[in-house]
Amino acid sequence: MKTQSSRLFMIVVLVAISVMTQAQDRFVSSKTHIKFYSTTPVEDIEANNYATVSTIDQSTGEVVFSVPIQSFEFEKAMMQEHFNNEHFLESNVYPKAKFKATITNLDEIDFTKNGEYHAEIEGEMTIKDKTNTLNESGTIAVKDQSLTVNAVFDLVLADYGITFADSALVSTKIGKSVEVTLVAEYSKQ
Amino acid sequence: MKNKKLFRIVAIIGIAGLLTGGGVVLYMFNKPQRDVQSARTDYFLSSSQIVEEYLSDNAAANQKYLAADGDSKILEIAGEVNRISENFNGQKVVLLKGYQDKAGVSATFTPESNDNLDGIMVGQTITIKGVIRSGASYDEDLALYENVILDKSDIVRKQN
Repeated sequence: MKTQSSRLFMIVVLVAISVMTQAQDRFVSSKTHIKFYSTTPVEDIEANNYATVSTIDQSTGEVVFSVPIQSFEFEKAMMQEHFNNEHFLESNVYPKAKFKATITNLDEIDFTKNGEYHAEIEGEMTIKDKTNTLNESGTIAVKDQSLTVNAVFDLVLADYGITFADSALVSTKIGKSVEVTLVAEYSKQ
Repeated sequence: MKNKKLFRIVAIIGIAGLLTGGGVVLYMFNKPQRDVQSARTDYFLSSSQIVEEYLSDNAAANQKYLAADGDSKILEIAGEVNRISENFNGQKVVLLKGYQDKAGVSATFTPESNDNLDGIMVGQTITIKGVIRSGASYDEDLALYENVILDKSDIVRKQN
């Protein structure tokens, strides 16, 4: 009886340690900035989003970004309306985009040592109902148990079913691919 | 003579039409963003109520609160201040969250309304007006509950 109780106690302790360790391995960010920039001969368009949430797991290298589409803010209201409507992002039906990836050179990043590290990531970007593979790179700056991630990459809009076929006016003003710039500050969960 | 007069009338109507049409297009293209704080409030709720509504039926809540053109519903949310932070754009972000709630309401203020948060303390109950951008949900990939997001926010009531 005593042995059984001890065994149960040991299991509870091990599970608790495992959960705590898992939590300590995760960095969470709600301080983010994602900017997309598009240039055409007619006009340059920029939209900014400060409401994205992201996590990085230092033990598995898993990186996740959850991006609220309606939080992208444009200078012009009409651009913002077109961006959200049913012909483009359909944000009332698909309110969030998701990027789920893995750091492929995890062994080159020391999350316990201050410094700036190059990171290669491979994963899937889901916008609306379309998912595509994305291989990109960025930097991870480690400073006193907090991280800052920076990355710049291009997205081809047609890969996500965004073709502008329904709006000649908008198609002349937004490029076929947009440049995405992201910065995110993480702290340990 | 008659034809000349008719041509002149048609030309004047045509030019007037072009000018009006051009003016409308120009206005539409350059129209300013909606002034959320001056607009009518669509729903009055507590932070716990809207979180619960989203967690019990996400799709129905999206249909109720999110608009197809991005001009989603304007809400007044009452709740307890759980955290005040600042985003990369220098805007204050207030998290209203009930003690036992799994998620809260994250409200981003504007450069104009930032100062209205001076003196607001964690634990204080306030009411914030803003436009909803997305709802609360549990995200399995993030392994955490995401908050309701309000934007263009300002305080409309506060309790001491």
